[in-house]
This record gives sequence, C-alpha cells and structure tokens, in this order.
Amino acid sequence: MSSHYEAPIREPLVLGDKSYHDITVDIAKPIEGKANKNWYIAFTISLIAFLWGIGCISYTIGTGIGVWGLNKNIGWAWDITNFVWWVGIGHAGTLISAVLLLFRQRWRMAINRSAEAMTIFAVFQAGLFPLIHMGRPWNGYWVLPIPNQFGSLWVNFNSPLLWDVFAISTYLSVSLVFWWTGLLPDFAMLRDRAVKPFQKKIYALLSFGWSGRAKDWQRFEEVSLVLAGLATPLVLSVHTIVSMDFATSINPGWHSTIFPPYFVAGAIFSGFAMVQTLLGIMRKVTNLENYITRLHVEYMNMVIMLTGGIVAVAYASEFFIAWYTGSPYENFTYMSVGAATGAYGWAFWSLILFNILIPQFLWIRSVRRSFIGSFLISIAINIGMWFERFDIIAIVLSKGHLPSTWTRFEPTFVDVGIFIGTIGFFGVLFLLYARTFPVIAQAEVKSIMKVSGENYKKLRDGNHE
Amino acid sequence: MKNSMTKLAVFLLVAVAFTSCKDNTKPYVQFMPDMYTSVAYEPYGENNVLPNGMDSQAPVEGSIARGQVPYDYTNSNDGYEAAKKELKSPLSVHELDSEKGKALYTIYCAVCHGKKGDGQGDLVKREKFLGIPNYKDRDITEGSIYHVIMYGRNLMGSHASQLTGSERWQVVNYVQKLRTDLLK
Repeated sequence: MSSHYEAPIREPLVLGDKSYHDITVDIAKPIEGKANKNWYIAFTISLIAFLWGIGCISYTIGTGIGVWGLNKNIGWAWDITNFVWWVGIGHAGTLISAVLLLFRQRWRMAINRSAEAMTIFAVFQAGLFPLIHMGRPWNGYWVLPIPNQFGSLWVNFNSPLLWDVFAISTYLSVSLVFWWTGLLPDFAMLRDRAVKPFQKKIYALLSFGWSGRAKDWQRFEEVSLVLAGLATPLVLSVHTIVSMDFATSINPGWHSTIFPPYFVAGAIFSGFAMVQTLLGIMRKVTNLENYITRLHVEYMNMVIMLTGGIVAVAYASEFFIAWYTGSPYENFTYMSVGAATGAYGWAFWSLILFNILIPQFLWIRSVRRSFIGSFLISIAINIGMWFERFDIIAIVLSKGHLPSTWTRFEPTFVDVGIFIGTIGFFGVLFLLYARTFPVIAQAEVKSIMKVSGENYKKLRDGNHE
Repeated sequence: MKNSMTKLAVFLLVAVAFTSCKDNTKPYVQFMPDMYTSVAYEPYGENNVLPNGMDSQAPVEGSIARGQVPYDYTNSNDGYEAAKKELKSPLSVHELDSEKGKALYTIYCAVCHGKKGDGQGDLVKREKFLGIPNYKDRDITEGSIYHVIMYGRNLMGSHASQLTGSERWQVVNYVQKLRTDLLK
C-alpha cells in the first residue's frame, strides 16, 4: 500500500468496501438475474415507439418524401436535425473511451462501456436518416464508389454528404471494434460465471476465447491505446464533416468557418448530457451506485460546462459576426436579431434557454453534485441541442437570399413519428444491452480498485497520518 | 461416404450459385425500373387510347406541314404523262450532289436496278424476280423518274416514305447520269 502515492485530495472512484469479487458480482448481477417489471414496461414502450417508427419509415419510403413537412425551399428539416442530433449524442462515447484514455482519466472506467454502447446505438439511429431521407433510398448504394456497368460511373468526392458516408461508416465500425475489444475480458468473466449451458455457449462465442494471459493483456492495452489514438481524431473529424454539410454551403447562416469546432463541442456537450441522462437512471436500476458516483456525475458536469461554454461562445461569435459582416442576409441567420424576433423566435429562445441559461446552474457545486439536478439539466441540454440543430437548419433555410422563397416548415406526424421511432429503437437496443452486456468495464474498474477504491484510500491515508 | 456427400452438396451449392436464371427469350429482371418505361408517348409505341392502337397517327388529309411541298400529279397514267412532260427538278446546279445521289441510289435502288442502272441488281441476278428494265431502253425524263419514285409503277412500289423531296431529286439526277452513261 504504502509504496503507492496518490494525492489524498482525490476522492475515491469506487465506493464501499469492494473486493475484486464484489465488483464481478455487482456487474454480473443485472445480467444473471431476471428482468423486473419496470424493465418490461420500459422495453414495451420502447418497442411500441420503435414499431411506430418503422411504420412511419415504411410509409415514407412507400409513399414518398412528400409525406414529410418539407417544401421546396426547406428541403432539410427534422430528418437532418435528428441525424446531426444522434451523431452528436454518439460523440460522447468515443470521447469518454478514447480522449479520456489518452488523458489517463481514471473516472472514465465506470462509464466508458455504457457511453460506447450509447455511441453505437446512437450512430445506428443517425445512420437511418441519411438513408430514409433519400427520395430513392433503394439507389442508396450509389453513394459507394463501386466499379459498375455505367462505364464505371463514380461518385463525386467533393460533396460533404459523401464524406458523411465515409465518416459515419468508419466511425461506427471503429467504435464497434473498440467497444468489442474492451468487452472481451468482461464477456470472458461472464462466460466463466455462467451456469446455464446456453449462456455459457453464447458468452464463449462473444468472448473469442479470451484467457487473460500476460501477453494478451499487454497487447490488449496496446490495441486500446492505438485505437484511442485513432478514435480521437476520428471523433473530431466525424462531426466536423457533419458540420461541413452546412459550412461548405453558400447559405447565410450556414457558410461559417466556426462550424467544425463548434459542432464538435456541441456534440460532446449533447453526448455527455445523454450519458448523464442514461447513467442517472442506470446507476439506480442496476444498483451500481458504488461505481457511478457523485464524483463521476460531477466530472461529467464539468465537461458539460466546458463544452457548453464553448458552444455559448460560438453562439455569441455567430451573433456578433452576423452583425459585424454588415451583410443584410446575415440578419436572418439562426443567431441573429431576425431569428430572435422572427417566426421561429420560440425555437431561438428555446435554444438560448436550454443550452446557455439552464446549464449555468452547474457552476453551483451542490447542483453539479446532485443526481436529480444534473439529470434534469442533462435533459434540458438534450432538448436544447436538438433545437440548436433545428434552428441551424430550419431558420436558415426559411429565410434565404430571395424574399420570394421565404417560407415556413411545419412537421407532419411522420416527421415526428420517425424521430419517436428512433428514440424507441435506441431504447430497445440500450435496454437489451443493459440486460445482456456488462454495463461497466469490470476489468478496468478492477485495475483502479486498489488505487481509487474507498477502502484502500482509507487504509493508505491512515498510513500517512 | 459422409465426405463424398459433403463434397456433392458443396458442388451442387456452387453449381446453383453460378447458374444464371436468365431466360434469353424474355426480357431480364429489372431492379427498380423507376424511369425505364416512358410516361410520354413514344413514336412507335403501342397505345390503347388512340385509334389503331398506335402512338403514331396519320395527319389530317389535305393539311400541309411547314417545309413540305405537296405533289400534285395523280397516281395514274395521265399523271405519269403530265409529270414526264412538265415536272422539272427544283434543285439548282449548286444543290446537286452526285455523291449523295449515288449513295441514296445504292441504298434504295441498286438492289433491283443494278449499280449501273442496267436492270441487273442482286435480286435479278439471283432470279428472285425478273422484268427490271435497263434505263437505256426506256424513254424517261426527270419528271417521270420523280413520279415513279413517288408512286411506284407496275412491280415497283412507292419510295416516297424512304426519301425526302430533295433526296428524291438527288436520286433523279443520279439516275439520269447513269442513263447517259448507258446510252454512250
């Protein structure tokens, strides 16, 4: 004990008098036990929403995009809003598992598994929108540069929408591999604990024969670090590319060089908010309160404050630049006086309220460390970041260069239904995940138990006194 | 035994996988033929709405399209005689192009009349039918040649649908040249 030095100022990351076995038991419990009634209720609601969404998607594809509220001037609205929103949510997972790994943040270990799961499930939802918002989704494979019989007709690599294809598909595959690599030791743990032959078979398949030898661990760590090093530029570039869907256009309000970093900051902001929302529930229902502690919540809230601050500065500079350019067209961008007082003023002010004003409560330590407080604020941010994307898209498109093209967007029930469907789909996936996957990376938590465990810290601090 | 059965199964699977289900007597399957068939009427298309079941309809009799000159001589011996006497080529010397006339003649006329106009076309040589006259044996003028291209005569059918007005006169010019050569 005494050979190790950790600053006594650090709060413990694992609460309670935990041993290695306790960690295993705590994490395996939700998987090995039976689902309770609440789980079934939540799952049923999610499933119904998902099926309703499938119905709306089928209706759209079968009947045509005209069933949405889009018009000839506002050609993107809820579809791309939801796409960007979901992609943004997905970013926190990779940030937690990759960037925080590079910075050697130990508090990431209790939350990275669920954050990565959230990433992957959110990217699934995001990936739906580029497909279903196509007029002819059955020709969607044309976005891939495949040699073909049209004289090998290829794609134009100048479009950010094509970069989106590469960005999202790479992001999904890298995240999936990163997540799964980390899962191997945990699946092996479940395999070794399984008493039912069927479960044993399943987890044996999923764990790829992980046996936890020294060489395996050595390479495991190297792979994790390399993947973290790769995922970090990826996570920054993916949302940058998403932002270029707008920033490379000529629309006033979209054509803005601030978008790439500002979208990434917004993605981390909204992603962490969603992690906060999900973990706020999960720590309760899976009895993992000793692993996802107040300290984790506080640290996540600090990241939210930081990125929320960056986003707020970006809003301010957008507002300033809109005025400073002197271009009359910039008077109607999503961050301008025209937007604040126009037909979409409610959306503008929702954005200000949910994204800038409400998160400021996090400066107060008691709010930052309060579970219910951060849960409510995280929901506000999820709403606010949805409005940010909606404002950027719909407000800007509603008032373009020509006043004769000024129009409004009203969503139809299909627009809303598909969004609800993706939330349901996300819920279905996450609920199934929480019942079958180890929601905390037990191998990693065990590596910090003796460093940051409450009982060990007490022992150590006792020695110092 | 088991091994050979597996091999057979694999062979059959591969064979099935590489067998095309394309039937050459039928059009092949199409993937999402969004704009493959025309919504608009196409020139030779079938049509259930219009008379004759065709997209192409005959113009109203007596109407004259812009750029078209009606042919006033009747399809009869009188018409033939009148055209023979009166009808003259509207093409000036500069417009006459013997290369073009030769090309058109080779396509539309030479198969019966022969490349030299001596009535020894391929069909005659193969004795598919007989009775094609040599140009030098007939007393023909530019008007009568044009009239015969327009309406046909005896065994010959009308070639008015194959050749436009000016093309017909180019052929007439070339036929006259052939006749002159034959008469030498």
